[in-house]
Amino acid sequence: MGPRISSDQMEANRVDETLVARCRKGDVPAFEELYKRHSSRLYSVAYRMTGSAADAEDLLQDIFLQVYRRIDSYRGEAALGTWLHRLAVNACLDFLRSKQGHRRQVTDSLDEPDASEPVAHASWRPDAVLSRLDLERAVAQLPPSYRRAFLLHDVEGLEHHEVSDALGIAEGTSKSLVHKARMRLRTLLRGRPAEPARGPGQVVPFAASPSRAGER
Amino acid sequence: MEPQFAEMTCERSAALIQDVIDGELASASRAELEQHLAACPPCRALLDDLREIARVGGELPLHTPRPQVWARIASRIAEEQAARPTPFWTGARVMLAMAATLVVGVGASLWVLRAPAPGTQAAVTQSGKDIVKDVDEHLRIADAHYTQAIEGLEQVVKTDQGALDPAVAATLQKNLGVIDVAIRESRQAIQTQPHSELARTSLFEAMRQKVALLEDTIALINVMRKGDQAGAAKIVKGLTKS
Repeated sequence: MGPRISSDQMEANRVDETLVARCRKGDVPAFEELYKRHSSRLYSVAYRMTGSAADAEDLLQDIFLQVYRRIDSYRGEAALGTWLHRLAVNACLDFLRSKQGHRRQVTDSLDEPDASEPVAHASWRPDAVLSRLDLERAVAQLPPSYRRAFLLHDVEGLEHHEVSDALGIAEGTSKSLVHKARMRLRTLLRGRPAEPARGPGQVVPFAASPSRAGER
Repeated sequence: MEPQFAEMTCERSAALIQDVIDGELASASRAELEQHLAACPPCRALLDDLREIARVGGELPLHTPRPQVWARIASRIAEEQAARPTPFWTGARVMLAMAATLVVGVGASLWVLRAPAPGTQAAVTQSGKDIVKDVDEHLRIADAHYTQAIEGLEQVVKTDQGALDPAVAATLQKNLGVIDVAIRESRQAIQTQPHSELARTSLFEAMRQKVALLEDTIALINVMRKGDQAGAAKIVKGLTKS
């Protein structure tokens, strides 16, 4: 998410502002319009973070009820979309930290397939464009800590210092988790080991180094 | 003895590649990395792959929630709107503080109304006939304006009063009654002394008070419906100032 704001984006922000003004007067149809405009994005955040459609729906409901009740606390300092996104990310993180969310993650990691197994039916051929669906499937297979950091940084566009704030970890840890997540994703998608060869200038084809000894 | 620019390891290259993708690689290291990449196809492939993963990560498909989710939200909103607001207001400190403020505010303004303003007599004797005529016209317009505003506000309050806590509503009614008496008395005073500035001032002061009180009441109804504690506190604060 760069600092550029397109004219489409500006128009969208303007429409949001108008809807917010109506919502402040208790206008429910205006609120429904806001829901239509933003629910998919927020639901997608929740769905990926929790890995569960049911949890994501519950979170979405909570988030929008919270928005409805607290629309007055939106001061217009950031675009509404940004404000909602932040709210959603925080709600997801709170959920994951909760007992319920924690339990789900434990179950997740028990189900976690061997990381050296490529994603079933992954079709990422050398020099080909990576399919979004393949990547999404692979992300779902990441260990929770990797997945969370990758989602926040590469998918949701947070900076490392923001990820570090959100997760209560050091900035260096955020970088390390995101980097490991990308390497693991590559392994999952390419079916190759995550670590490059060691040694000065040593050129080792990936196919020739199946060892997982270097993997952390 | 190692050369000053030792050839980069693939391990170090991998770390720098991640920094490149994050947009955080210093230009000095960039040259060093480029040199390594030129000679190392696997690291080039790594850069391409990780870059692609990060890029596609930012473009993952959107998922749409089932329509039931909005239905659930809408029904919760309807329930909340229908529900009496709220345990928070019943017997809450804020409510008492607000009632007290209203009474004090209205009482103080009425006291000011009834006290003769210093210099008033001098002002009256100094007024020329034209000025009196001018003032009469302003008085008429202002009176009509206030009366209209009050009617509109009363209508709103009447329709929405169900949202108010009964104790608050009773206090408001009492205060409005006090103001109405002041308005009636001022009108009578103007009839008997049409040019009395004191009578006019007190009429408009009373009307201004009534408008303010009705406006505050509407604002209160709004925040109470939302159960907005901060908003309620703000109104109470505003009342303290006026």
